Amino acid sequence: MLIFRPAISRLLQWSLYLLPLLAMIAAWYFYTAADPQRQFIFSSPEKVYLALVRLISSGELFHNSCVTVMEAVIGFVIGTTCGAMFGLSLWYSRLIARIARPYITALATVPVFALAPILISWFGIGILSKIMLAFLSTVAVAIVQSYQGAMSVEPRFLRLMLVVGASRWKTFTLVVVPSSLIWVINAMKLNIGLALLGAFIGEFISAEEGLGYMIVKASGLYDMATVFCGVIALILIALALTAAIEQVEHRLLKWKSS
Amino acid sequence: MNSQSGRDGPLLSIEGLHFAFRSAGTASPSSLALIDNLQLSVFRGEIVCILGASGCGKTTLLNLIAGLLKPEAGKIEILNSRAAAVRQPIGYIFQNDALLPWRTIEGNLRLADDIGGNSSKEGTQERIAAYLKTFHLDRQILKQYPSQLSGGMRQRASIIQALMFDPDLLLLDEPFSALDYYTKLRLEGEFHQLVKGENKGAILVTHDIEEAVAMGDRLVIMDAGRLGNELSICKSDDRCQPENARGMPEFAEHYRQVWSQLKSVIEGARC
Ligand SMILES: Nc1ncnc2c1ncn2[C@@H]1O[C@H](COP(=O)(O)OP(=O)(O)OP(=O)(O)O)[C@@H](O)[C@H]1O
Ligand SMILES: [Mg+2]
Repeated sequence: MLIFRPAISRLLQWSLYLLPLLAMIAAWYFYTAADPQRQFIFSSPEKVYLALVRLISSGELFHNSCVTVMEAVIGFVIGTTCGAMFGLSLWYSRLIARIARPYITALATVPVFALAPILISWFGIGILSKIMLAFLSTVAVAIVQSYQGAMSVEPRFLRLMLVVGASRWKTFTLVVVPSSLIWVINAMKLNIGLALLGAFIGEFISAEEGLGYMIVKASGLYDMATVFCGVIALILIALALTAAIEQVEHRLLKWKSS
Repeated sequence: MNSQSGRDGPLLSIEGLHFAFRSAGTASPSSLALIDNLQLSVFRGEIVCILGASGCGKTTLLNLIAGLLKPEAGKIEILNSRAAAVRQPIGYIFQNDALLPWRTIEGNLRLADDIGGNSSKEGTQERIAAYLKTFHLDRQILKQYPSQLSGGMRQRASIIQALMFDPDLLLLDEPFSALDYYTKLRLEGEFHQLVKGENKGAILVTHDIEEAVAMGDRLVIMDAGRLGNELSICKSDDRCQPENARGMPEFAEHYRQVWSQLKSVIEGARC
């Protein structure tokens, strides 16, 4: 960053971040307090707060969050790794890349929602089917992004490798992979949300634990406060995972920031 | 062929080289040959300068020599001082440097080791240090990324990167054209000294007549894919630094000669 701001204005910046949130909570509070009838569908900040305390102290929220995070992260890691490796390796053969293209497009366009019932009947209602859903929602993006990255390596770097007589494998490891890293990281950024969504949809359709399950069950009971708690937990998880990816990005792309 | 006779022959010899770009959509080469029946040889310790109007095929010629393009006909022979099976490395310094931005300068200079073209891994450290000194670069830059260096520093770093592969033949495509005059003079000097000191051969493509006369031992003007008359630059001392060469009495004479030839080529092409 070029401009260093004093610590005091940093604090101001942070409070500015919180301002829209506080405004929303205030609006919600006044809207639901004005007419208690509304609390049946909109719940209210106090009710959500009380539900949060209850769910946290019973350990329910933590347990369900852990299940969802685990499903999403395992699916994300396997999906992104396999997808990136496959997509990058398509650089080796234009023929295979061309054959693979319609399949990848198909995989990328099929909504996971459509696959969820099939996968649940194949892999059961346990976490395995959710991991598969998270995997399938991430793998296509990872393949497409990393293949594009591999194909858009700057020609001057490839020329350099040709001139110095580098083998194709050396060209792949020393130039294609590092220069595609930006694309892989972009895939990671997109995928973390998709993985969470995949796991969530699986839980939503059929499960015995996880945030999706918790939300479905609570909405069946018109327990809107618990639904809100689940949504808040999902948002926080998404923010935390995104921040983790940004850390990874910062590490891997040190040369970019400097 | 023993090593003795190998040392005496030309480092690079090109005979009857023919090349045309295939026009898009057709398999046959376009009728207009870009390079036609071209001959050129480069000996050790020699800098051959190629001058020519923009678009006459200078970069194409270097790409052909470097093996990036395949000639339609003709022979490009690069003397191999090593085992026949090993490809002779060529040091090709592109007009825009090709330093890998995700590697530090040190990582870039160690590329030769990583690619495995260089067997003497132990000496790398010393060689890097020596080259940094030759090119007046600070050791500190080793830890920096290419984007943190100035254009002139990057140009020098990419020359060192090429040298780390220990090539006998160096190809330079307008390497100094983007630099300020003083940096250019200095780099010319450093490069000249290196070619003479390490007994390498070099082809220098440039638009700058003054640079060509000051640096080159021989000078060729390229005209529509042919190399015109060769001009030998007879210097009283061939190890004379380019900056001193500019002050020599024969410099002005060479300059005039080259300019008149170049002018006739360019004007001939126009009509
Ligand atoms: N990939 C290509 N396909 C078709 N034609 C090309 C290609 N590259 C270059 N040419 C043509 O070949 C000619 C010579 O190009 P080249 O780059 O060798 O010129 P140059 O002498 O290096 O010019 P400059 O001094 O401007 O760098 C140009 O007329 C250009 O249009
Ligand atoms: Mg050129």
